Amino acid sequence: MDFSQRLKTLTEGAKYDVACTSSGMNRKAKKGMVGSTEACGICHSFTADGRCISLLKMLINNYCEYDCQYCVNRRSSDIPRASMQPHEVADLTMQFYRRNYIEGLFLSSAVIKSPDYTMEMLIKTLALLRGDTYRFNGYIHVKAIPGADEALIQRLGTLADRMSINIELPSERSLTVLAPDKTKPAILAPMKYVKNKILQSKEETAKYRSAEAFVPAGQSTQLIVGATPEADSKIVHLAQGLYKGYGLRRVFYSAYIPVGNDTMLPRYESKDSYRSPTPAFDTGTGLIDKAYGPILMREHRLYQADWLLRFYGFTAGELFKTEEENLSLHLDPKCHWALRNLEQFPVEVNTADYRTLLRVPGIGQISAERIVKARRASKLDFTNLKKMGIVLKRARYFITCNGKMAEKINFRPESIELRLTDNHAVGPYSQLTLADAAYA
Amino acid sequence: MPSAPRKEVDIVFDGTFEGFLCVVYAFYYEGITPLSIQTADALQPSLMQEEFFIVTNNDNACKVEKAIRKKISHDAYYTVAYAFLSSADDRFMCMLHYIVYGFKMGHRVDDHLHHDFILRVHKCAREVGREAHLLKGFCRFAETAQGILYCAVTPIHHVLMPLAEHFADRMMEQSWVIHDKRHNKAVVYNGESCVFVDVTPNTVPPIYAENEAQIQELWTSYFNTAAITARKNPKLHRNMLPMRFRGDMVEFGGTGRADSTIS
Repeated sequence: MDFSQRLKTLTEGAKYDVACTSSGMNRKAKKGMVGSTEACGICHSFTADGRCISLLKMLINNYCEYDCQYCVNRRSSDIPRASMQPHEVADLTMQFYRRNYIEGLFLSSAVIKSPDYTMEMLIKTLALLRGDTYRFNGYIHVKAIPGADEALIQRLGTLADRMSINIELPSERSLTVLAPDKTKPAILAPMKYVKNKILQSKEETAKYRSAEAFVPAGQSTQLIVGATPEADSKIVHLAQGLYKGYGLRRVFYSAYIPVGNDTMLPRYESKDSYRSPTPAFDTGTGLIDKAYGPILMREHRLYQADWLLRFYGFTAGELFKTEEENLSLHLDPKCHWALRNLEQFPVEVNTADYRTLLRVPGIGQISAERIVKARRASKLDFTNLKKMGIVLKRARYFITCNGKMAEKINFRPESIELRLTDNHAVGPYSQLTLADAAYA
Repeated sequence: MPSAPRKEVDIVFDGTFEGFLCVVYAFYYEGITPLSIQTADALQPSLMQEEFFIVTNNDNACKVEKAIRKKISHDAYYTVAYAFLSSADDRFMCMLHYIVYGFKMGHRVDDHLHHDFILRVHKCAREVGREAHLLKGFCRFAETAQGILYCAVTPIHHVLMPLAEHFADRMMEQSWVIHDKRHNKAVVYNGESCVFVDVTPNTVPPIYAENEAQIQELWTSYFNTAAITARKNPKLHRNMLPMRFRGDMVEFGGTGRADSTIS
């Protein structure tokens, strides 16, 4: 196989990993080195599916020993196999980086021979890239392989900016069924180790100049959504546990897209099955349809809930207070929460504190900051808010300006919900058409 | 301030940021109230009134810079400097209002968002910052036969300055050129310092390095492979990466493709 073909094969194997962020680390260039990193991250391109390309995301090889059913690279999968030498990866990264195609490298690998052997290959590549030959100072995200020796994780962590260990399946039961080679403790133990190492290195780098930084941009993980029957509430609670207990920077959610024909996993066959965000598990003929709308929407709602956890001061318990187990598909989680807690609204924009403003649907961090600043200078009314660029589409139902609400608002949950969803999918009402039987 | 009557005139300055600061200086020390502010190269002569040319004086510009930093804030200075790079027609007048109002209000000027000119200056600065940030990712370099990296961009605003700052840090030992095709300007970096130059529109395309076409081909193929077909979403794609940037990007067959110059 020629180089271009191998690159294609190894990209194909890595692309279902959704993380492609280059954020969390501000590092200026150093004399004699090539590259820098920005805390906000930089997106260099976007693929046709609208996902950002920030890092050169590839596997170093895809000869996998494991047989995880959700994974395209599993042992039993009939795909072309390839591998790259460390110097080939390093060379390609530098060529792409100089041309500003990428912000850095995202290196992962299939488990070849043993976890330790695989880790050594990753370390070799990163050491080459950071070493005297290439002197690379840009962003590196690397996968740690569960089950590898701690000394190897330690070495890898000093070379990378971010490290991730994917949980993939949100419950132990699903893991035993679909990924027989992986266990929950084998995944969580290295995460715990990385967390402790990060804390330790933070302390040391603050005290001693010579201390080495360990995974300075933090660790992340990925959960697959929709491949197994876990509900959203379980996933969001798990994410919250990971943020709090393991100090994770990010949890990524990946809507399950069928990558093989395994009968244990859902397939989207008929129109009815993909209308449901968790498709039926009983599968038949194996025709795969291309409509992934609801599962992608579910993924989107999970990300929104994730943001509420990380930036808006919500807890998972608040989002799933009622007996509902899944997030609403037609309303975003914040609107959904607000409608179920309408006694906390309307909020007066001229007096409410920042944290309360953040809980208003349609008002985010930037809007809330602007409101808090602007009201120091003058009282705000709806015209001011509009001019300042506060989006009132959702917020207008939940705020007052100087004690006044926006016009024509019926402050009842059903009425607001109807307007927020643009008459879609709720209530007994629908747009009359000429074809309606009642009309004729 | 002298009590002599203020002159109301159409002001012209040389188009540099220092020149603009001298307009502010003239407002305070020469009693000149501008009816309009224009740059010399984009001058639209008026029949009714003669233009008044403000000569740039670096000492005066420095004084104004220091005054803004001290009496308003460092943030306000950056806001003005970024708004200056915008291509909005009304930016100079809004910036002048902003500075004059800022000298009255101090660092709290940025809270007064109920004034249109303050919002306008913030918006201009934000747009420049946003476009510069996007181009830090979207601009594409190609290696020429001489080993210089060449990049063409077509930005709406004058973002060469922030781009130059970014790449001078990131690729400090490499020579590179960023060419702004819309405003016919370029920044040249020789491994030590940046020089901003005017260029003529019909520049001959560079001769690319031997392996350039091959690497561009690898990148394009990587770009196409990384997309998941089942998740294709053209609307999201356009939102995240607007069409106007794609004309200069290799993976969309934009300018700067090494193979296109061979034929």
